[in-house]
Parts: sequence; C-alpha cells; structure tokens
Amino acid sequence: MRTVNRIKDMRWRSAHLILVIIGFMAINQSTIAADLIKVLDLKGDWKFSINVKDEWASTSFNDKSWETIKVPSPWEDQGFYGYNGFGYYRKSFTIQSSLKGKTIYMVMGYIDDVDETYLNGHKIGSSGSFPPFYNTAYNALRIYSIPEGIINYNGVNTVAVKVYDSYQQGGIVSGDVGLFTDRFALPLTINLQGNWKFKTGDDLARKAFAHDDSQWDDLIVPGKWEDQGYRDYDGYAWYRKTFVYNGNLPGEKIVLVLGKIDDVDQVYINGVFAGSTGEFSNSPGKWVDTGERYRAFRGYYIPASLLKKNQKNTIAIRVYDAGGDGGIYEGPIGFISQVDYINYWKERKGLVNNK
Amino acid sequence: MKNIYRRYKYIKTGYSIVLLLLLAIPAKIHAEELRKLVQLSGYWKFSIGDYQEWANPGFDDSKWDEIRVPGKWEDSGYDEYNGYAWYRTKFKMVETESKGMIYLLLGRIDDVNEVYLNGKLLGKSGDFPPKYRTAYNEKRKYQVPREYLNFDGNNSIAIRVYDSFLEGGIIDNPVGIYIDEDFTFLDFDLSGKWKFHLGDNKQWSKVDFDDESWSEIRVPSEWEQEGYTDYDGYAWYRKEFRLPSNLRNINDLYLVLGKIDDYDHVYLNGASIGNVFELKKDGEYKRRGFEYNARRIYKIPANVLKADGVNVIAIRVYDEMWRGGIYEGPVGIMTEDKCKEYRRKHYVNQTFWDYVLDEIAVE
Repeated sequence: MRTVNRIKDMRWRSAHLILVIIGFMAINQSTIAADLIKVLDLKGDWKFSINVKDEWASTSFNDKSWETIKVPSPWEDQGFYGYNGFGYYRKSFTIQSSLKGKTIYMVMGYIDDVDETYLNGHKIGSSGSFPPFYNTAYNALRIYSIPEGIINYNGVNTVAVKVYDSYQQGGIVSGDVGLFTDRFALPLTINLQGNWKFKTGDDLARKAFAHDDSQWDDLIVPGKWEDQGYRDYDGYAWYRKTFVYNGNLPGEKIVLVLGKIDDVDQVYINGVFAGSTGEFSNSPGKWVDTGERYRAFRGYYIPASLLKKNQKNTIAIRVYDAGGDGGIYEGPIGFISQVDYINYWKERKGLVNNK
Repeated sequence: MKNIYRRYKYIKTGYSIVLLLLLAIPAKIHAEELRKLVQLSGYWKFSIGDYQEWANPGFDDSKWDEIRVPGKWEDSGYDEYNGYAWYRTKFKMVETESKGMIYLLLGRIDDVNEVYLNGKLLGKSGDFPPKYRTAYNEKRKYQVPREYLNFDGNNSIAIRVYDSFLEGGIIDNPVGIYIDEDFTFLDFDLSGKWKFHLGDNKQWSKVDFDDESWSEIRVPSEWEQEGYTDYDGYAWYRKEFRLPSNLRNINDLYLVLGKIDDYDHVYLNGASIGNVFELKKDGEYKRRGFEYNARRIYKIPANVLKADGVNVIAIRVYDEMWRGGIYEGPVGIMTEDKCKEYRRKHYVNQTFWDYVLDEIAVE
C-alpha cells in the first residue's frame, strides 16, 4: 500500500472505530442487531510461526517449538519487526459443554491484511484474499459463525489462523478475540458476508449471470459504501456475488437474507428477479420513492430451484440510495432454510420479550 | 374516503358546523348495513413463513404462536419482520334464519393477503411477489358462500399475508362474520360471478355479444378488491340468467343492483332500462354528487324479460376515482312488495341529519 493510501486508511480506521462505538450504542435499541455475549476469552498467548504449511491447520500438528506471541498485537511489536508475508497463529482451548446447541461465533478482532481461520482443521471463515489475487480486509472485524459439529465439547479444540500481511503492521492486530454467542443470531446455512463485486451506476444488463464483473471494485458486505471509498456517493449502484451452492438447503422455498439496505433494492439470482423492497422507475434518472425502506430488514422468500446445485450461482443486487449513507449496510447476509427462518423468528420473540 | 371528498364541494355554501356532522356520518352508514354474526378479533394462531398446506383446516397449528388481532405484528414480538406470515383461527358459526349475504370482514391488512375458509379460497387483495402490489389501504370484505360454511361445527380461517416493509399484519377492525340483511328482500339473487371487461363499447350492450373471453368478477364487490386496483374509468358487467318459474307471470318486477360507484347505465336484453341520472328524476334519489351512494332500483319494463330462455343484463359503469363498480348491497330481482319494503327500510327511515344533508346538497 502506498503511504497516501495508508493515511487515508487511518482516517477510515478511526472513522470505523467511531462507527463501531455508535453501532454498539445502537445495539441497545435495535433488537435485530447482534447481541454478542463472550463465552470464552482467547486473548493472550498464542503460538506463532512465519511461513505457511497445509498441515499447520490440523489439530494433531505439534506446535511446541513455535514462538509465543501476544494476541491481539501487530507481529512487528512481538519480535517480527519489518516482516511482511505469511504467518500462522495457533491456540488450543476447551469449551463448556453447556454451550452445546448454540450458535457460537469466533471473533478474531481485526487482522491485517488477509486471513483464513480454521477450527479443528475445518475452515470456518476467511476475509480478504491471498496473493496472487491479493485483496486486503484489514478493516473488517472477523466474526465467523462456527458450523455445527466442528466444536469438540469433550476435549481440546485448536484454532489455527493463516494470515498474510502485505505491508507495515501485520497479524491479529486489534479488537476482541474469543468465542461469543449471539442471542439474536440468525443461523445462516450459507453465509455470504465478505467481499462482493461493486459498481456504481445503473444498467439492467448487470443482472445477468454471465455479466462480466471482473473489473468491478471489491466491497465488503455488509458495510456502507461511504466507508469503502465511495464518500458522498448517492444514486444507483450494483453488487454482485458469485458462489458455489452445494445444495444443502431443504424445502421448496428458501430465504435470502440481506439485512438492511439504504435505500431500496432489487435482487436477481442467476438473472431471475428474486425480490425487492421499494420500486424502481424504468426510466433512468427518475425519482424513486424510498420512504422508510432503509430501515427494513430484508428476508426474501425464493424458490430453491433458482439456485443451481454444485455449480456457480450469481446474486446481483441493484441498489438506489437517495442521500446520506448508501448500500448494504447491516447483516446478516446469506441463505437459510424456511424451517430455520421460522424457528428463528419464533425463538427471537421469546428473547425480545425477556430482554 | 370519497364521501368526505365529495362533501367538501358543498362547504362553499358556508355550512361549516354541518361539516363536522358530515364527517361522522360515513362510519354510521356502514355500521347500519351489516349485522355482526361472529366476532373474530382476539388471539389468533400465527407463524411467519409460507406453506400452502397452512390453508388446510386440518393443519395442526397447536405449536404456533398466538398474537392479537387486529394489531401489527411488530407489536407482538415480530418487530423488524417483513415477508410472509399466516394467521389461523377457528370459529363456530351462529345459526341464522336470514337469507342475507354473509361477509368476512378483515379490517385492513398490510400489505397483501389471501384468505381461506375451510380450505377454500375466499379472495385476495393486492399481489404477492414477484409482481408485488400493496393493498394496505383497501378495505377487506369477502363474500362467504353458504356452502363453504360449516353450520354444525368448527370453521377454519387461514390468512396468508405478505408485508413489504414497516408495519405488517391484520392491523384494523372490523374483524368478524357479518350479514347484509338487504339480500333477504331479493326474490331472485343475481349476486356472484359476472362477466367483466374494462373499457367502453356500445356493442357490449347487445344480447348476442359474445362475452366468453371476458374475465369473471364477483358482484357485489369493489373492483379494486377484484384485482383492478387504481382503475378509474369505464367498465362493463354482463350476466346471463333464466327467470325462475315463480316470477314468470308477474308484471311488476324490479332489477336491483345494490350500489354502484359512480355512474351506471343498465341494459336488459339489449333495451336500455335506466341509469343513475334517471333515478334522480324519479325522486328515489335526491343528493347530487352522491351517485355512489344511491340504491339502484330499476323497474323492468313490460315485455323486456323473457319468461323462457336466457336473459342478458349488461351494465356500463363509469368510476371517477377511488373505489369503483357494483360494490355492495343486494343484486337481483324483487317483486313490487319486496321492493317497497326495501325502499321503506332505507328511504323512509331517514334521520334528521340525512334530511339536512339532502337540503344542503340541492343547490
């Protein structure tokens, strides 16, 4: 990264921090937002090694000979001054069996720049992308939901984090680190939070499955576009995300959850209209009625047949922002079965009432 | 609604005190016309989600949540929820001697809904995605065919609702089963499915016109409720019927068409038998600008009705704005005696304020 960018980034980072604070203040009022409760603190001593080997993700690997390093902290401050490149963090822990059945989130704070996080040898999440298609995600708080069946409640668990830093500070640099439960967590089966393709302007051709978005920008979703290089931008923009669907959602109808979007949106899956909040004018440049739609939580019921099993699928989202903040600004983002969605809202009602 | 708007026209005459009274009257008119049989407000079974089998009366909803109806679901623990949800309830039907038209009233629903009685679709308001169209400001009033009702045991109502954003659910009264007693004056009931076409064409009054390709519409019902939201302008209704044997040799018969919003011109077997403006001249109807509220009672001229064979009614309707069509009241044929009773009920027992209104309306 160039210095100019760095300075700009610092500005964003502090802006981000303020937003996080505001966000936490808002959580007390907004009930759909995450209500994270820490169940295990993982800050402190971790094992660390530079470089990378595939077997380092596995539980059985013996990391006794590795260095001990404090987390969170830039590795530059822990004896690896000036190091850029790959590094590996490992830590073992046990977890109380009373948490069994709850959705557990692994929060890894802020990682500079890219990571892939493994629990007991299973990849549970990643942010940014490693070289050769390098893309930083240093400003994204890592919150990975742990899929069922991965946590060992009767013995030792091992978390392994593969990190790549391109420049200056590197590693698990700041933020809270630990296991959390979320009282209001929506248990998504397919989590699509992370990098999406993004382009301002409006063109309905962008809904097509085969539309070439390779030259588009990367944007982290959820997150308003003002925080990600599109300051003061109002108007039309498109998001696209391509993913492989492994066909693990039961039922004829499934739900695409898109959190909150500022202001209105129109969603296409593989080119087919899948849902919208608000209406768009067919003539470009015309006024769009946005109303209070930026506050609406989006959960679109779609026929499961819109998704192609074991193949690439594309979600294209046309967004119009009338002013102020814009974009897909609050999660969760992803797919859930209708049965799980119904149960979630039923359970959530109990939680809201008990709050 | 329209009543208030229209009445504003007369304020220029300076009767500002009367204005307050006018505003109170539309609600009163409705309460008078329908009698409540079963109260359905209270706690209903509720689940978010969307499965067609939830329409079935036998579906086991015992594990479902219960929420207050009417009331927005945001106030019942589902704040921030947008999308599909179903409401279900059971009720026992009361015995009724009356042959009146039975209605299910569901107040206002935000945004779109379908309603099932004992598993059968009663009606739909608005459009579900993908061709989403809200109907949040439409009154929910659905005709209940008697054969759909179970008079001896439980009846099941299931309502499929879709809400796009902000408040959602069955959000307003009245919620219940009601009866329109005016239908008891009918000697021959012509309510139900009619042929319907938007637009205007003189050929459509003709007996031999082929309306096979026309769509069907329920009569009486606001056409907004029948899928023609926001339509203002011309439309035609057509209906074929055979005269029942007990009416064949009776001379003085009346074609009663409930109330029509706004203007109508009625043809029977190709002959013009009247229009709303002629009703005014007859003295049946005095208030100008209140065409939507006039009861349509047309005397059938001699030799127009066929005692044997098919008769054809064709009605040209023009709607200025908002609600449109043959929207409420008894539709069919009355003998002179029944017609007199029907008139007496509505036109003789006018209140003092109805009288005042009439006087103001005549410029």
